Amino acid sequence: MADPAADGGPVGENVAGETPADEPESVTDETTVYEDDVELERTIGLVGGLAIGIGTMIGAGIFVFPGLAATEAGPAAALSFAIGGVIALLVALPTSELATAMPRSGGGYYFVSRSMGTSYGAIVGLGLWLGLVFASAFYLVGLGHYIVAVLAEVGISLAGLPVPPHVLLGLLFAVALTGLSVGGTENTAKLQNVIVVVLLAILTGFLTYGVLDAAGVFGDQTVPEEFFSQGQLPVLTTAALVFTSYLGFAQVATVAGEIKRPSRNLPLAMVGSVIVVTLFYVVTIFVATSSFGAERLGGFGETAMVEVARDLLGQPGAVLILFAGLLATFSSANASVLSASRSVYALSRDALLPRWASRINLRYGTPHIALGMAGGPILVLVATDQVEILAEVASFLHLVMYALICVALLVLRRRDPAWYDPDFRIPGYPVIPILGALASAGLIAFMNRASIVIGAAIMAGSYLWFRYYAADVQLRGDV
Amino acid sequence: MTDRPSILVPIRILEGESIPDGVPKLLADTNVVLLGYHVIPEQTAPGQARMQFEERATARMDELEALFENAGATVERRLVFTHNAQQTLNRLGHEENCLATLLPATVGDLDDVLVAVRGTVGIDRLARVVAGVFAGFGATMTLYHVAREGESDADAQTLLDGLADRLVDRGFDDARIETRIESEQDPLDAIIDATVDFDALVMGESDPTLATFVFGLPADQIAEQFLGPVFVVQREPPEGWEEDGAAE
Repeated sequence: MADPAADGGPVGENVAGETPADEPESVTDETTVYEDDVELERTIGLVGGLAIGIGTMIGAGIFVFPGLAATEAGPAAALSFAIGGVIALLVALPTSELATAMPRSGGGYYFVSRSMGTSYGAIVGLGLWLGLVFASAFYLVGLGHYIVAVLAEVGISLAGLPVPPHVLLGLLFAVALTGLSVGGTENTAKLQNVIVVVLLAILTGFLTYGVLDAAGVFGDQTVPEEFFSQGQLPVLTTAALVFTSYLGFAQVATVAGEIKRPSRNLPLAMVGSVIVVTLFYVVTIFVATSSFGAERLGGFGETAMVEVARDLLGQPGAVLILFAGLLATFSSANASVLSASRSVYALSRDALLPRWASRINLRYGTPHIALGMAGGPILVLVATDQVEILAEVASFLHLVMYALICVALLVLRRRDPAWYDPDFRIPGYPVIPILGALASAGLIAFMNRASIVIGAAIMAGSYLWFRYYAADVQLRGDV
Repeated sequence: MTDRPSILVPIRILEGESIPDGVPKLLADTNVVLLGYHVIPEQTAPGQARMQFEERATARMDELEALFENAGATVERRLVFTHNAQQTLNRLGHEENCLATLLPATVGDLDDVLVAVRGTVGIDRLARVVAGVFAGFGATMTLYHVAREGESDADAQTLLDGLADRLVDRGFDDARIETRIESEQDPLDAIIDATVDFDALVMGESDPTLATFVFGLPADQIAEQFLGPVFVVQREPPEGWEEDGAAE
C-alpha cells in the first residue's frame, strides 16, 4: 500500500489498522534515542548479560539432561554436548555481529525481519515466542522433578496423587512465576546475577572434586567404559535433544536494546556464555558417567546429578546439588518467561501482533498481557509432561531462527546497505555463517519425528498468521 | 547571563509529580536541565513504556518547559524511560554538565539561604551555584560549617571566608553573607537542625564512596525533613564515570 518511507523505516498496517512503531534515531553506549529528546536508558551491563545467558542455559544442561543423555549416547554424551556447543558458537558469532549493528529488543526476530523481510520475520518472531514457551515448560518440568527430590530427601512423598507430583509442582510454579512477573517489583536482575555466581561456585567445586576423583586421586580409579557404548548415531540424536541447553545466548540478544555499551558487551556476553556453559557441560557429563557408568546414570532420570553428588560427597553433596538444581531450573524458567514477554512486545511493536498485547498495566507497570501470553501456554505444555518433546520443539524453533540469523548475516554482508555498520565483524566470513546455517538446519534432522511435525506446524501457522494479519506490513530496512 | 549554571531538575513525569510553587522563579537565572523520567520494572522493556506513555509524558514536559521558560530560565529537556533512576540521573548530570541537582519544594519568600560547606573540595562549584542562582535575589546567604574533631574554629572560619571571597568576586554583596560554625555534633543532624530558619538549602554531594546522591542518604534525609528546596552540588565528574554502573 504505502510507499516505503524515505528513511526505510517500517511501513504498512495490519488487519486492525495498526502500524509498526517508529524506529529510533540513534543508539549510544547508554541509550536508544528517539525523536523529541526521548531516550531509553540501557541498564544491563556485561555481568548482567552473562548472567542472562549462563543462567538460562545451565539449568537444563547440567541439572536435567545428564541422565537422559547418558541413556541415549553412553559416555559419548559428552561429545553430544561438545557438538551442541560448537554449533551454538557458530551461531553466537553471527548473532553478535548482527546485534552490534542492531542493538534492539527482539534479538533474532529483529535481525531477520529487518534483513529478510516480514514473512521470515513473522516465522522467526512467533517461533521465538513459542520456542521460549516450550523451553520454559521444559525447565518447569525439570524444576518439578527437583522439588519432588527435595521433598523425598526430607521424607515427604507425594505418591498417590491423580497427576504425577512433578507436573503438579511445575504447574504451581508456572502460575507463581507468571504472577510474580506481573506483580513483583523486586530487583530480579540482581537476584539473577547472584544465583548465577552461586551456581558456578557450587559447580566448580563439585566438578573439580569429581574430576580428581575420576582420575583416581581419592582412591580407586574408575574404569572407563567404552566411549561409544550406544554406537555413533545416537551421539547426533542426543546432540539434537540436548541442544535446548544452548538456547540462552539468544535471550541475551532479546534484551539487546537494554544492554550498555552494546558493541562490546553483546558479543562478550553471547560468545562468553556459550563457551562457559560448554565447558561446564562436557566436564559434568564426564564426571557423571565416570562415577556411575552411563546405564545406571540414566536410571536416575532428570535428577541424576543428585545421585552423582551423593556418590561423590555423601548426603551434603546431594543436598547441595539439589539446592543448585532448584536455583538453576528456576532461573532458566524465569529468564525464559521474561524473554517470551519481550518477544511478544517486539512483535506487537511491529504490528505483527495486536498492540494491546504489549499493554502495560498501570498498577504494577508490567506487561501483564504479554506475560500471560507466555504463562498461559506454558501451563498447557507443562501438563503434557513430555520432557523430550518439549525440549526438542524448543530447540527446533530456535534452530530455525539460528539458521535464518546466519542467512541474514550473509544477506546483509552481500547487499551491504548503508545502515549496516556493525562494530563487531566476525572472523572467518563467510565460512562461519554458512557452517552455522547448515549445522543448525542439519541438527533438526536428528530429532524425533513428533518434534519435527510440531515444530513445522508452528512455522506454518506463523506464516498463515502473517498472511492473514499483517500481509501489508513491511519491516525490511532500506536496502 | 553568560554564566548561567546548569541545574538538573528531575521529575517523575508520569507519577503526578509537579513543579512546586516558586521553583520556576527560583531558577530564573539558570539553565534548567529538565529531566522527565519514568522508572519501569525489569519485566517491562523501556520501549514498551515509551510506546504507551510517550504522548502523555511529552505533553506534560511541554507544560513544565513553558513554566520555566516563562520565568526566564533557559531550558534543556530530556525524557528518559529507565530501569534505574540513579543511573539516569548520574548520566544526565554529567552529560549536561550540571553543577547541581534540585530536589524541588515550595518556596515562598526567599529571605534566608543556608549554604552547608563540607570542605575545600568542590568549593568552586559551590560558589558558582550559589552566585548563579541567588545573585538576583535579595536573600541573605548563611555559610555554614560543622567542624570535625581536631578542626579549630580558625580553620573553619578560613574555609568559610574563602567561599565568601569567591562569592564577592562573583558580584555578591558582602553585607548579604553571614558565616556560622558549629562543632561537636553529627554534621547531618546539625544541618537538619539549622535548616529550620531557612527558605532554601545548598549542600555538597556526599562522599565519593557513596555512589548515590539524590536518593542517597544525606541529601535525601535532609530533603525529607526540610520543607524547602535543596540544591545538591555535584562533584567534578571523575575520570571514566560511565564505566559499568549500578545495574551490575
